[in-house]
Amino acid sequence: MEESEVKLKLKDWIIDRSKIPVVDGQLKDDTPIIEDGYLSSLDIVEFILYIESLIGEELELEELEPEMFTSTNTMYETFFASV
Amino acid sequence: MTYSSTELAPKLSNASIKKAWDVYSAFDWPDSLPEDNWYMSPELISLYGTDIYDNLTEAQQKKLSFTELCNFFSLVLQGERPLVQGLAHRLYLKSTEPDVSEYLHHFIDEENKHMVMFGMFLKRYFGKVYPEKKVNIPRQYAKGEEDVAFLCKALAVEEYGEYYNVVMWHDDRIHPLVSEINRVHHFDETRHLAFGRARLVETFNEKSQKWSSEELASFRESLVAYLQSSWGDYYNPTMYKDAGLEDGYGLRQLALEHGKAHRQKASEVLVNLLVENGILEEVPEL
Repeated sequence: MEESEVKLKLKDWIIDRSKIPVVDGQLKDDTPIIEDGYLSSLDIVEFILYIESLIGEELELEELEPEMFTSTNTMYETFFASV
Repeated sequence: MTYSSTELAPKLSNASIKKAWDVYSAFDWPDSLPEDNWYMSPELISLYGTDIYDNLTEAQQKKLSFTELCNFFSLVLQGERPLVQGLAHRLYLKSTEPDVSEYLHHFIDEENKHMVMFGMFLKRYFGKVYPEKKVNIPRQYAKGEEDVAFLCKALAVEEYGEYYNVVMWHDDRIHPLVSEINRVHHFDETRHLAFGRARLVETFNEKSQKWSSEELASFRESLVAYLQSSWGDYYNPTMYKDAGLEDGYGLRQLALEHGKAHRQKASEVLVNLLVENGILEEVPEL
């Protein structure tokens, strides 16, 4: 999958489950998704499963850090860039 | 008659001593388990009642019943780890009454035995424990909220598990070793539940008095999200994959949508306690 396609899928998922209303174009690749209240820590559990479904393998959970889920950019760099 | 947690503690300690058991000699572990057997009661299987489940062969359904059971044992085991950690932290706090401290030793001992029991089963017959998919993101708590949240989480792990334990203990279609594990777990858990329910209500009543209405609303919102998320653990994409089914994430979404009535039923005791005691304002959709 192309970088832009992955980021679009991640943002669509976030918008779908966002705790706050999101208008078109509001969610950027570098928007802090937890700090700004789009997702809670519990949403991240579901998000991990979604990311696994996109990359087709399980993540090494003991290596996961909250910073990896800061924004669409950090998630792409952490989970997709090297695949 | 309703007892407080401090009144219950010595009674529960006596019962724990009387009913103490040795996890290392309690079970006859066969070398292997037959494939042609039910391991989780069919009605508890997350996909039960869906077209996808109905179109599986009985052999495939039985294989899924095994991976679903292994997921259930894994999530109870994973849920008991922070529970033991939290109980150990509270053992000799100034605010922990001596009788309660004594009971907490039994509580921890029994939870440890459960983890050994589930771990032995999973290691012998499945070769792994499903990992807990959580990332710890620190958050702000109102004064005393962390204590109440801990007791809520502990009770949720146990109440959800208890529903499954009771159904499987009485189900003679499933493998007798699995029925026995559920029976043993149930008998310890009834004491833990009695203590946990009383302690939660007391702690909530004490701590929440000092919360603002915004803090109370935020606590309730987090609690509902936690209860929903805990149910999510029962729909593990990897367990579907391990049963030979494709698109584990898609099956999880299907089972989550399909299982609403089951979750409401299995959560009824916990939710009633939360609503009747004002911990939640209304019955949440789980």
